[in-house]
Amino acid sequence: MTICLAWLPTCTVFSDVDFNREIRPILSKHCFACHGFDPSTREAELRLDNFEGATRDLGGSFALVPHQPKASEIVTRIYSDDADVLMPPPESGQPLTDAEKNLLRQWITEGGAYSAHWSFVAPTQKPLPAVKHSQWPKRPIDYFILKQMEAEDFAPASPADPAQLLRRVALDLTGLPPTPESAARFLANPSSENYEREVDLLLATPAYGEHWARMWLDLARYADTKGYEKDRHRDIWRYRDWVIDALNQDMSFEQFTREQLAGDLLPERTDDQILATAFHRNTMTNEEGGTDDEEFRVAAVKDRVDTTMQVWMGLTMGCAKCHSHKYDPISISDYYSFLSYFNQTQDRDTESPFHPTPTSEQAKAIAAQQDIVTLASKELNGRPADFDSKLSQWKQQFTKTPLWQNLKLVESTSEAEVVLKQQDDHIILATGNRPERDTWTLTFELPALPDGKKHRSLRIEHFPKSIAGGDWADKNVAIRDLTVEQIQDTGTPKKIILSNPRATFSQRNWEVAKLINGDNSAGWALSPKFKNPQNCILDFSEPIAAGIIRITLEQQYGEGLLLARSRFSASPYPAEWLIAELKPNFEEIFWSLSDPQHSAKKKKYQTELAKLAALKKAVTRTPVMAELPAAQQRKTKINNRGNFLDLGDEVTPNVLEIFGNFPDNTAPNRLGVAKWLMQPENPLTSRVMVNRIWSRIFGVGIVETEEDFGSQGLPPSHPDLLDWLAVDFREQGWSIKTLLKTIVTSSTYQQSAVATPDHLSRDPRNRLLARGPRFRLSAETVRDQALAISGLLTKQVGGKSVMPPQPSGVWKTTYSGDDWKNATGPDRYRRGLYTYLKRTSPYPAMTTFDAGSGEVCQVRRIRTNTPLQALVTLNDTAFLEAAGGLAQRMQQSSQDLEKQIVNGFTMALVRKPTPRETKRLLDLYASLAIDEEASKSLLQASALSEGDPRLVAIANVLLNLDETLMK
Amino acid sequence: MKLPLPLKKIQATTRRQFFGQTGLGLGSIALSSLLNQESPDEPTGFRIPAKAKSVIYLHMAGSPSQLELFEHKPALDRLHDTQCPQEYLEGKRFAFIRGVPKMLGSQFKFQRTGQSGQWVSDRLPHLSKVIDDLCVIRSVHTEQFNHSPAQLLMQTGNPLLGYPSIGSWATYGLGSENKDLPGFMVLSSGGKTPSAGKSLWGSGFLPTIYQGVQCRTDGGDPILFLSDPKGLNRGERRKTLDAIADLNRYQHEHIGDPETITRIAQYELAFKMQISVPEVMDIGRESQSMLDLYGAKPGHVSAAESAADPRTLYKGDDPTFANNCLLARRLVESGVRFVQLYDWGWDHHGSSPGESIDETLPIKCRQIDRAVAGLITDLKQRGLLDETLVVWGGEFGRTPMMQNNVRKNLVKGFIGRDHHPHAFTMWMAGGGIKPGVYGQTDDIGYYITENAVSIRDLQSTILHQIGIDPKRFNFPYQGLKQRLIGPSDEGKVIRDILA
Repeated sequence: MTICLAWLPTCTVFSDVDFNREIRPILSKHCFACHGFDPSTREAELRLDNFEGATRDLGGSFALVPHQPKASEIVTRIYSDDADVLMPPPESGQPLTDAEKNLLRQWITEGGAYSAHWSFVAPTQKPLPAVKHSQWPKRPIDYFILKQMEAEDFAPASPADPAQLLRRVALDLTGLPPTPESAARFLANPSSENYEREVDLLLATPAYGEHWARMWLDLARYADTKGYEKDRHRDIWRYRDWVIDALNQDMSFEQFTREQLAGDLLPERTDDQILATAFHRNTMTNEEGGTDDEEFRVAAVKDRVDTTMQVWMGLTMGCAKCHSHKYDPISISDYYSFLSYFNQTQDRDTESPFHPTPTSEQAKAIAAQQDIVTLASKELNGRPADFDSKLSQWKQQFTKTPLWQNLKLVESTSEAEVVLKQQDDHIILATGNRPERDTWTLTFELPALPDGKKHRSLRIEHFPKSIAGGDWADKNVAIRDLTVEQIQDTGTPKKIILSNPRATFSQRNWEVAKLINGDNSAGWALSPKFKNPQNCILDFSEPIAAGIIRITLEQQYGEGLLLARSRFSASPYPAEWLIAELKPNFEEIFWSLSDPQHSAKKKKYQTELAKLAALKKAVTRTPVMAELPAAQQRKTKINNRGNFLDLGDEVTPNVLEIFGNFPDNTAPNRLGVAKWLMQPENPLTSRVMVNRIWSRIFGVGIVETEEDFGSQGLPPSHPDLLDWLAVDFREQGWSIKTLLKTIVTSSTYQQSAVATPDHLSRDPRNRLLARGPRFRLSAETVRDQALAISGLLTKQVGGKSVMPPQPSGVWKTTYSGDDWKNATGPDRYRRGLYTYLKRTSPYPAMTTFDAGSGEVCQVRRIRTNTPLQALVTLNDTAFLEAAGGLAQRMQQSSQDLEKQIVNGFTMALVRKPTPRETKRLLDLYASLAIDEEASKSLLQASALSEGDPRLVAIANVLLNLDETLMK
Repeated sequence: MKLPLPLKKIQATTRRQFFGQTGLGLGSIALSSLLNQESPDEPTGFRIPAKAKSVIYLHMAGSPSQLELFEHKPALDRLHDTQCPQEYLEGKRFAFIRGVPKMLGSQFKFQRTGQSGQWVSDRLPHLSKVIDDLCVIRSVHTEQFNHSPAQLLMQTGNPLLGYPSIGSWATYGLGSENKDLPGFMVLSSGGKTPSAGKSLWGSGFLPTIYQGVQCRTDGGDPILFLSDPKGLNRGERRKTLDAIADLNRYQHEHIGDPETITRIAQYELAFKMQISVPEVMDIGRESQSMLDLYGAKPGHVSAAESAADPRTLYKGDDPTFANNCLLARRLVESGVRFVQLYDWGWDHHGSSPGESIDETLPIKCRQIDRAVAGLITDLKQRGLLDETLVVWGGEFGRTPMMQNNVRKNLVKGFIGRDHHPHAFTMWMAGGGIKPGVYGQTDDIGYYITENAVSIRDLQSTILHQIGIDPKRFNFPYQGLKQRLIGPSDEGKVIRDILA
């Protein structure tokens, strides 16, 4: 018997032994390690985990002979005085108690029948038990609870005081205290109907989803960083918001499951359904240098398997990674068969694949902008009727005078003696030894143009080797300075002023304008796009007639960054026709000329397109699950001893069939796994979820070991209640809100939490629920409540994680360049759920109150009560500022000190203080001696510019009361 | 909090078969100790006679080179600058080495030291003077060759995050000797917390009350939130705590929950800690000669603590580690069970002069040499060494080859070694450990040739010395009997080094 059942009636020899409740735990604890399911550790070829094994002929002897304890070797062995014969062997250190021995004997006498472990049989609803105190039950739950209470000679506690009940239910459903309006409304008439109305209202507030998301995020091992050594930032907060939204919509748990496990495999999946799969992308990614990606990919896949089984079925698969489970029927090959469904995603210790995951506001804005762009595009592309004929007419001028006239090189000099050769296509090849740096002087002939046209612009083209040939390899080009001179008839050069520089591409910090800015520390360069043709265009300040020009190119960067293949050309056409692009678009030029609106339309289109791009760019990309294409799917092999390098036999994908077969007509993938988890034959999923919710409300689950429903876990305190709830949950369409309402409207829940000496001596842990639940609030609720009471709470739902104040120097992790910047605006007072969680350095005030670090799936938090917690609520900035806020509210509520104190107390605890409590606080107020300087400091520490520092101290006390920290 | 009873089922090698008649002798486990299972709050049944009361664990994060400090390998020196033979490369996984690297002889001289005459680097002159108090284990090996998993394996028994650290296990098993101080305290130096972060002193699935409390030495509160707000002096704080206590008592009279009484006690303890912690953390109370013994400097705030990138700063003569060593002694003297020191900056790959064997290692040695020797000497003088187990080491060793991914050849300031899990050196002192040298490696220090010591063995030995049977010590979680030493029974107490 385990300790938790100590309050159950000790079994009498007259009643039948219950195999699952009484015998299996003994066998599991004392026998299965050597005589269990795992063949590799099985001793003497004996297994005691099923009837066939226990009754097998072992060469003339039998471990178990039904109804014949004397013929059963088990009985002989457990009662033996001979240390060599005795079982369990003395060195195991776990002898059976006399009671256990007698139970085993009685069981064999009664026939030694086995039945499946209780949780491996699908739940059914039993009729409500008959109870004596039949007025008390309000809900079916109450019959089961009362039945057990009465069996143990307990009576239900009186109903809780309405103020305390309202506070309890508000904290349970929303993680926040009731609003003053709700309190006023309910306390005016605390009837059952009004209570139910408040419950409905609480379930409808967004705060409900925020609060319950936290439970799920613990399971999902949600964090804002990737874990391991580097532990860099990860954008996965959209997943957190998905959970909040899903809960607020009361998405059915079935859909909630399907989308998180396999949203990417659903037909016509939405962005949100794909986002849901980030559930399993909360695994860690190791970015430490020199790590083996496969090792950490496999670790992540195993984590997904373990987490899936933990979260939905309350089973631990962990040990079956290395060897067959010793206690539960899960073999190492079962483990890897199940793992193979999860082994087919694209991620491999990488953050990718990502999916753009817009918020609903972003999605709306993008859709609206898309419409604007479509319209702008339509307007832009509507051509006049005779556009084409007019265009071809206009284009004729270029047959006579091309847009660009390539220039003939007349003479060239190179300081470094590079040989420059102009080819027929006018491209100038640089040949010979490539110098580090050089300055060229190139003399060109500007040809005469028809109709006396003059040259107005110069173009310099750069070509890569693949297009223009030549000896020199492709390299960046860096021209620091460009000078153009006209050689006049007199032979004297005249400098030509250049303007309006433009280029197809410029290197960062080497913009084309620097060619002519007179400063030759930088110029025009092309990296990294020097392997493509590029060009730049400059306008002459005055048109030039035919003649000779001299161009000086200063290429003094070093490393041989010279124009290896270039062409120079000039154009007589207007500057606005000459756009730096690889191929002039005559149509665009003409359109702009012929339609005065065109440029404006084009500009509008481009502006709107850029806005759309910016909106899309602002959308967070979240790591999601994505299946490998069929041809690339991985073969899954057993990892011997859990070692990913030591591979054994290949396995075929399968689920754990003892919990139901893989659903028919379903593809063998994660979507099938999700269906398998939710089908009615599955004995665990519903029980595990209702138990988890129950535990959050009552402090302990009906099955205390929420993480283990297997044979090593503790049996349920109220098995029929668990099954009733499990069936009801499924039948009510897997609605979590309905389940919660069922629980909180029960009489069981609404009892007073007062513990009598009798309670404390006979049921100290309140497993019988003969009184209402009372336990410490979670880390987040401790914070949120303080912020709500103080009026500081920012009520924004969702968004990026925030950084409320934390002491400097807490973040000092290797390599991370990320900084903790204490928020100053509304983000300073967001709910704890939104506090940035860095796995290797979680927020200290949270961990002190037992919050996890998101490293692994956390099924439940073990509550502690430590002095470090006292230091947080007494001295942490968040709580001091909350004290400041509460003090201010107290001061504003009345002129009268006593009223201020009574109001403050009521703001904190909903109920009114007793006269003794008021007096104690008034005495404290009177005794505090805070001088002017101290007063200033204390107000400053609590973020007040003015106020009563003694009220701040009172508020600090109110926020630190046991009653405030407990629900 | 009641917890399921820890189970003690251990598969002994002397397992008899249920139906066999060839039973072997009984183990000598004291069953009586296992029967005392009535109080689930106090784990029992694993206690054995303790040799040490407390542990000071000095973790050199990044992993110092054993080949420059404790492993004198003349054969390796002769191979210096030659190509590494293929046998050492085939089938091996390295973090950074690619292709064929060169062998790297020791960059520093060794000298014979102490009565044992063992070889120790000339970079450790002070430690050499107390070498006869140390048990130098040259044959440690690990399964992990990246920092974060290797540190986690060393400190939590699991390369993944989320498991309780050895200090948490120790305080869970034994509690604290001082009711005004946490049982497990952590100090770090070198400007950064180690790669695996605070998980190294996390409590994993154990209640958070057992997590390591990081004491800060950067001028702020030594423990987070220890200081009352400015403007509320001790007397006024006392008045508010009295009011909280009274109101809580009223509440308890009404509601009857024993948790309220616990809370009153915890607030009292918090008030006491506000005095006791700053006191114990104030090394200014030590004499000058004591400060000199360690090389400690009271009030020193390392520039690295506030630097944007402390990697550039850890090279200087920073006394933070020395201060922490002195603090460690003060803490164990006050009854703290487990003191963990992390010193950052020992990862000498040779990727830059700031992370090299030839330029950085001597500086790091200077930062710890006097301090560690001072700690041993001080503990000994006070008679505390017998009851304090001191452990020193990194998370793995370093390769006999030079790392070749940055520079292929030997260049000053770029001489480094890669991670080496197959053999490295740690040492223990005091706490019932016999001084001497244990374990051997081959001529170049690549493989262990004698008395291999696994991480499980080390953890088993540490638990054993503080009075915990490592095999029986477990915590039921997620259906498994979780143990520091993992599910298999491979870990053995290193009996040969016990005094």
